[in-house]
Amino acid sequence: MLIQVYPAGSRYTVKNEWLESNLSFSFGEYYDTSNIRFGPLRVFNDDTVQAGRGFGIHPHREAEIVSIVLKGQLKHEDNLGNSGIINYGNIQRISAGTGVLHSEFNASNDEEVQFLQLWFSPNEKQLTPSYEDISYDVEQLENNLLPVISHTSSEGVAGIHQDLTLYLSKLDGKKTLNFQQEAGRRIYVFTIEGEISINGDTVLKSQDAARITDIHEITIQGNQNSFFLLIDLPGGEF
Amino acid sequence: MLMIRHSIGSRLLCQTNIYDIEKKDDLWQISLPIDEETASKVLEFQDELNIFDAKEKEKTWYYSSDAQVKLQPNENKLVILADHKTVYPVK
Repeated sequence: MLIQVYPAGSRYTVKNEWLESNLSFSFGEYYDTSNIRFGPLRVFNDDTVQAGRGFGIHPHREAEIVSIVLKGQLKHEDNLGNSGIINYGNIQRISAGTGVLHSEFNASNDEEVQFLQLWFSPNEKQLTPSYEDISYDVEQLENNLLPVISHTSSEGVAGIHQDLTLYLSKLDGKKTLNFQQEAGRRIYVFTIEGEISINGDTVLKSQDAARITDIHEITIQGNQNSFFLLIDLPGGEF
Repeated sequence: MLMIRHSIGSRLLCQTNIYDIEKKDDLWQISLPIDEETASKVLEFQDELNIFDAKEKEKTWYYSSDAQVKLQPNENKLVILADHKTVYPVK
């Protein structure tokens, strides 16, 4: 299948008194050998954390970890000496490499935080751990594919140790955007809110995802005002 | 207590109070008795294991970057040769 749609309801949900986590790939207690990764994309968690709660100090290694806050405030601290709060309009990238210890908490005492956390396989093992957070101009999301993560970092674009580019976009209803990539690569699309169509006949409702292979030029139409994420991923074995 | 977890989401694969950790040059040799079913689960993820030695106020995190995880079937013993160790406090 060239465009494989994964409806929001097909995700695995972990829910307790402080966390709701919707998992698009095998993670923790959810382990499905047919749903481990899409190229270097290994984890895509849609997390909502209640006020004042979060993940205590824990380690990571050999992963490029990207956090995208959709609403609320996420507080980060790590053993590299980084600490801070990220909001909507910020992106955080951690290269875990040989090992990093960090904690993530909802910085607010009265509002939940919702964020997407994505893990990618790095293009090199045993990297020196590093951290970066960036701010992007939310106005530039309007009817535009705005790169916010890329192999080559620049102002408003966090660098990542993998051959990929992650774009965010807010598309008005009836507007269209075209995306092209080199042959042999993959595309991952996730609708954060609203509803979009890909190449006219594939509909992605809110929180649906599409894994696209062997099609390297797509047209995305907003069926209503929508917010979505697109990742241009390398092909090949991982 | 020793815990062996999958590094992608921290799924618990093995937990025991009977184990031994011995320093061997620049490495740490972690050995524990293990049944066949648990060993098979651990070996399936041998490239992606985090090992935690959990004490009351601190945890020690070990891993083997080149998956040096061996089952000694005659002794029902698992031996992991870790090349990374980090100690951190637990609140």
